Amino acid sequence: MKKFVLKSVVYLGLILLALELLVRAFHLHADDPPKMIDEFGVEKRVPGSKGHYVKGNRRQHFTHFSINGSGFNSYREFEPSEDKYEVALVGDSFIEGFHQDYDNSLGKKIEDRLPKVEVFEYGYTGATMAYQMHLVDAYRDRFDKIDKVILYMKFRNDFDSRKHRADYELVRMLKTLPFRIRENCKLWVYGSNYGMTLPIKNIAGAIWKGLNFIRGRDHGDVAVPEMGVSSVTERIDNFKKLIATYGWHTEKTILLLDSRVTDGRFLDFCDENGIRYLDFSEVFQNAKAPVTLVYDKHWNDYGRELIAEVIADYLQKEVKP
Amino acid sequence: MLFNSVQFALFLPIAFLCYWGITQIRPKAQNLFLIGASYLFYAWWDWRFLGLIAFSTVVDYVVGQRIYVHLDDRRRAKAWLMLSVMANLGLLGFFKYYNFFVDSFVDGLQALGYTPESSYTLNIILPVGISFYTFQTLSYSFDIYYRRLKPTTNFVAFAAFVSFFPQLVAGPIERASNLLHQIERSRKFHYTQAADGLKLILWGLFKKLVIADSLAPMVDDIFAHYGTYPSSTLILGVVMFSFQVYGDFSGYSDIAIGTAKLFGIELMSNFRFPHFSRNVAEYWQRWHVSLSTWFRHYVYIPLGGSRVSKRRAVFNIAVVFLVSGLWHGANWTFVFWGGFHALLFIPVFLLKRNRIYMESVIGQNSFLPSVKEIGQVLLTFGLVTFSRIFFRSPTLTDAFGYIQGIFTDVRIAAYTHPVGYRMIDYYVLMLLFVVYEYRIRKNERNPFHFKSPVVRFVLYVLVIFAMLLFYDDGVNRSFIYFQF
Repeated sequence: MKKFVLKSVVYLGLILLALELLVRAFHLHADDPPKMIDEFGVEKRVPGSKGHYVKGNRRQHFTHFSINGSGFNSYREFEPSEDKYEVALVGDSFIEGFHQDYDNSLGKKIEDRLPKVEVFEYGYTGATMAYQMHLVDAYRDRFDKIDKVILYMKFRNDFDSRKHRADYELVRMLKTLPFRIRENCKLWVYGSNYGMTLPIKNIAGAIWKGLNFIRGRDHGDVAVPEMGVSSVTERIDNFKKLIATYGWHTEKTILLLDSRVTDGRFLDFCDENGIRYLDFSEVFQNAKAPVTLVYDKHWNDYGRELIAEVIADYLQKEVKP
Repeated sequence: MLFNSVQFALFLPIAFLCYWGITQIRPKAQNLFLIGASYLFYAWWDWRFLGLIAFSTVVDYVVGQRIYVHLDDRRRAKAWLMLSVMANLGLLGFFKYYNFFVDSFVDGLQALGYTPESSYTLNIILPVGISFYTFQTLSYSFDIYYRRLKPTTNFVAFAAFVSFFPQLVAGPIERASNLLHQIERSRKFHYTQAADGLKLILWGLFKKLVIADSLAPMVDDIFAHYGTYPSSTLILGVVMFSFQVYGDFSGYSDIAIGTAKLFGIELMSNFRFPHFSRNVAEYWQRWHVSLSTWFRHYVYIPLGGSRVSKRRAVFNIAVVFLVSGLWHGANWTFVFWGGFHALLFIPVFLLKRNRIYMESVIGQNSFLPSVKEIGQVLLTFGLVTFSRIFFRSPTLTDAFGYIQGIFTDVRIAAYTHPVGYRMIDYYVLMLLFVVYEYRIRKNERNPFHFKSPVVRFVLYVLVIFAMLLFYDDGVNRSFIYFQF
């Protein structure tokens, strides 16, 4: 019996080690460049990080990323100047674009169409409108030199807060030993990406909760305060508050959105207040092929081509760089 | 609690260590522990139906004693046997077939032009495993009646026999003469038996998680939209279903047998590479062996078996297959499926070729199978797979629509995975699976039977690696045979 248990444990350890090696050898796991918060309170990636992003558990979608000196995924450095025509593309994971090769990004596609334009992609996963407007405000010196600012928004997700608050706690937690170990155990990273570790986490959570209950630290379920906002009016109010806090450069700033998933009342608000927006819904509607990836809802190469076309047309017609 | 769940991954080692720990202190408590673990295992799914297992246990324990007392008075013994049959089949009939028979009756009336004013069907859940444990307890009463077994006087052992968790919800359906005496005796830990158990569990998980679960989304898609697909895709769909249902059920059985080994108990083999069968008779000696054995012993032989006139024997075969079809599910599709198999089996029986492959496997004395054997296997696989259109389709209309699609829209077109995954991965997976199963075809109870420990270790790693590669958290992980 003892021999059996001992041998099982040894085998389990060796098997896990072999699996870790296999996951690393075939690079099945996605890299996640470390996060940081700079002196302006802007969350971004640690400059200089390079790696691969993987989707599909048999490496069915494999891309490269490269974090530039400013802390964003881009093939170019962001060095705005007075004499060149520069566009800042600000947004969430769609703009950060780990799902695409960094040298085949939306910004690069715009530049390919407009050779005199430089596009700076300030993308950060999970960035809300508060984050985006905070970033533009925090980097005012740079953005003053930038000619056009395009903010990518999704109405349902991006207007939940009235002010940006950098998540220092998260960044601190990610630097702790358990998280660093987790990040370096590629087998775990791989398992996490495909939901394999979720049941383990759920059970661990339930055990933890049970232990706290026994210790008297937890007396059952506590109502979790509602974090998100549900009403359209509340979201629009949040946007007004953001504008009041960070300002809005009507000539320079434009929203990039899909009107199919944006409430009409928000669009009315923009129209009434001179807030311009670039709507790519029509080109997506008429697309001849899928515009998103197979494994998630990020834009695929074709989707990015279509949006680049919309933005380039706009820049060509409206601004004539 | 599913075998492929994290709950079971935690439950099993805890139960294993407690069981053998208790054995060292108090060997007689083994069965009490097994009952507790089994009832917990079942209650994890739905505690309300524990009463049915307890009811079945008490009835058959008492009936077994009474049959034995009256063995010399066949009329009385038969009356007690009938009580067991009625109690078990009554449970099964109520939970599984009530709505089916009511619906069929109403359909029959409607066909005659009479429409009942109200529906008499009930909104009832089918308790998991009821088809399995009722058949198992019935086997106990039958075996006593046919003087193959003496009734046990150990109620705890009998309750452990009925509820033994590895095979409680989907078999193998053990005959009391095989399992009960193992449970009555005190078990001792054997290293080799436990190690073999772990290997079987690993192989069973591979078949379930990698083969069955990864093919399931494609099978579901093709069967749900059969009207829109050409013949090549429809054929692909049902071939994949053959792989899926085999991976699913044989995977479950392997895990059950492996788990039982961990507790010092040997269950019978349920699958012996059925898709390498050279005719339909051999297929039924290899597919769901415990059910086939049950029907042979308790339906076919009591009806007279083959020791009667040819006409009567053919009738007996037809009855067995039709009842077997109905056992699988309360749906006419299963009856058709059973009937189709009867039609395939009867010619083999009449040509006296139903027992010729009982002692051998394909490629018995050679590395590769002969061309003739390959032809036989492909033909048998083709026929069995074709029958599964009835097995998988929700209604007869769908089944015939599917078959019509195969023969009318004759085109070859590439099929795209519903989520968009690479199809080549699945074709390679199925091919490798067939090759490996062929390699181990002579011993279904030891899938990693290689001399070199290095080779065995590499195989363990590869099998688990494949589970990682094909894991899909969007798939319904339940076992197909749970619905039966």
